[in-house]
Amino acid sequence: MMDFFDSNVVLVQATFIGLVLALSVQVPLRMGVFSFAGAGSFGIGAYLAGIITIKYETPGIVAVLITMVVTAVIGLLLGLVISRLAGLYLAMATVAFDLIISVLAINGGELTGGPTGLYGVLSDFGTIHLVIVTLVVLALVAASEIGRTGRRVDAVRDDPELAASVGISVRRYRLVAFVVSGALGGAAGAMNILVRSTVTPQDIGFGLIVLALTMIIVGGARSWKGAVLGAVIFTWLPELLTIVGDWQPLIYGIIVALAAIFLPRGIHGLWVDSRRALQRRRREKAAGGAAGVAGDDDDDSGSTVIEKLKESSEMEATP
Amino acid sequence: MQELIGALSLASIYVLFALGMSLTWGTIDILNFAHGSIFMFSAFTAYLALQSTSLSFFVVLLIGVVVGAAMSLLTQVLAFEQIIKRAKDKRSAEMQILIGGIGVAIIPLSIAQHYTKSNPFGFENSSFQVTKITFGDYWVTNVQLITIVLAAVLGIATAWWLRRSRQGLALRSIGVDSEVASIMGVDRRKLALATMAVAGAMAGLAGILLTYSLGAITPESGDTLLVKAFACIILGGVGSTAGVYLGSFLLAAAETVVLTQTNGLWVDAVSFGLIFLVLLVRPSGIFGRKEVRRT
Repeated sequence: MMDFFDSNVVLVQATFIGLVLALSVQVPLRMGVFSFAGAGSFGIGAYLAGIITIKYETPGIVAVLITMVVTAVIGLLLGLVISRLAGLYLAMATVAFDLIISVLAINGGELTGGPTGLYGVLSDFGTIHLVIVTLVVLALVAASEIGRTGRRVDAVRDDPELAASVGISVRRYRLVAFVVSGALGGAAGAMNILVRSTVTPQDIGFGLIVLALTMIIVGGARSWKGAVLGAVIFTWLPELLTIVGDWQPLIYGIIVALAAIFLPRGIHGLWVDSRRALQRRRREKAAGGAAGVAGDDDDDSGSTVIEKLKESSEMEATP
Repeated sequence: MQELIGALSLASIYVLFALGMSLTWGTIDILNFAHGSIFMFSAFTAYLALQSTSLSFFVVLLIGVVVGAAMSLLTQVLAFEQIIKRAKDKRSAEMQILIGGIGVAIIPLSIAQHYTKSNPFGFENSSFQVTKITFGDYWVTNVQLITIVLAAVLGIATAWWLRRSRQGLALRSIGVDSEVASIMGVDRRKLALATMAVAGAMAGLAGILLTYSLGAITPESGDTLLVKAFACIILGGVGSTAGVYLGSFLLAAAETVVLTQTNGLWVDAVSFGLIFLVLLVRPSGIFGRKEVRRT
């Protein structure tokens, strides 16, 4: 176990960082905000944490916390400015935001190291810190998926008008989505540079958006479990695909396209759907047997109504 | 003045590329993220064909047009139609199409990267030579001239077709309300296929012309162009042909100014900044129709 960990430490780290990055895009998506700003926050976070670590030799965990606060504030400002856009327009505005960050990184002169980027960022931030921060973040995100908050988030996504009519401030939830996305993206970027000691403008370009998006689309966009699945798959898949050499991106592209067509809700969604279908079939069988014993049409219709009620309450319970 | 000619031919490439994107987005609601890959791969196919034999300018152009149209059709049939068939509502279909397009785009890109090792490729073997035509103190290359003329002709033809022909009317009606349009007997599928083919053909054309005019392009150039075309479309207004023209010229002019005034690294920031600015100030673009869904 330890051997495996030691020889794959880079991939283990990448999995946790990928997970936080994926969550930074997933959280707004779950609130119906199609925002990729998390990737831009990743870029800001990486450079900011790198610069303060080089200049002031801040302890790793402090650097991560400072970065998260700054990127959360930037997220809030961005949200205030563009939250009136919707759908693809919002998505493209955030893509533009991300790409502007990478252009700024290229043109930042000595501060950002220009096209070669920052390197030699040495910090006391180790894998154990990385794991702790990731688990705390994951627990917080998971907590937002259950109970009252979870149901409110679902309402804001699926039916904003309905949500507003029952007293949920849709605008506030959307702004929170931007803030959380900023903080998560910043954390992922900061942790990335602190464990890898380097960042270049290429690392925070369009490819990063594609990576985050594919993780949650293939894994599942509705639950943190989907983000975990996606982060694990897309961090380790390149390892498994080394046999195909530089055809690796080709397979990657095919997987993304197939997932978009056949698994619109990701692997996690597939799992939830199939489990639900199985339950329904089992219950139908049981109900059918009961109706057969009773042998009465009225009883039969009565049981289906109850079943429908059961089913709908179940749908509310499982996000 | 010399810069103006350069900006004009750059704008014409943007027009040829962005017109197809704007057309599919504004009418059949498909924002095709594979458009950049189709553009690049058309030029790449022509490059492969030129490896074995020397071809004339028109044959190369024809290859680009045919490959572009074929790839666009394939994307529509194999990916987008499947997604629309399975999606439960319009919003989720929109998002799945975006992601599916990103996935599809990686496939031709990785093939081209594999063969070129991500190096630029050009049409050295073509029998067509790029020559300068001088008039007074200024010059324009024959490719630039062809690009400018083609962009003008095709743009006007598209606008005319959309506005005057029955199919154009049918296509626009899909953009307004696809359900009512299909009740009126509009064959959505057939029109969508035709639109995608036209869009792909124009992307292929742009790919060939840009490769001739620059000498060589990299496999990754499609991605950059995609974002720039997006800026052009947003700037002018989705679905508006005149908007694509205006957006393309504004972007090309702004980029030329930045290129001549700074060290060149800021050029890409122009298009991203413009997207951002226009979405904030006037989300429907300069010539855009008012649409509720947009804001």
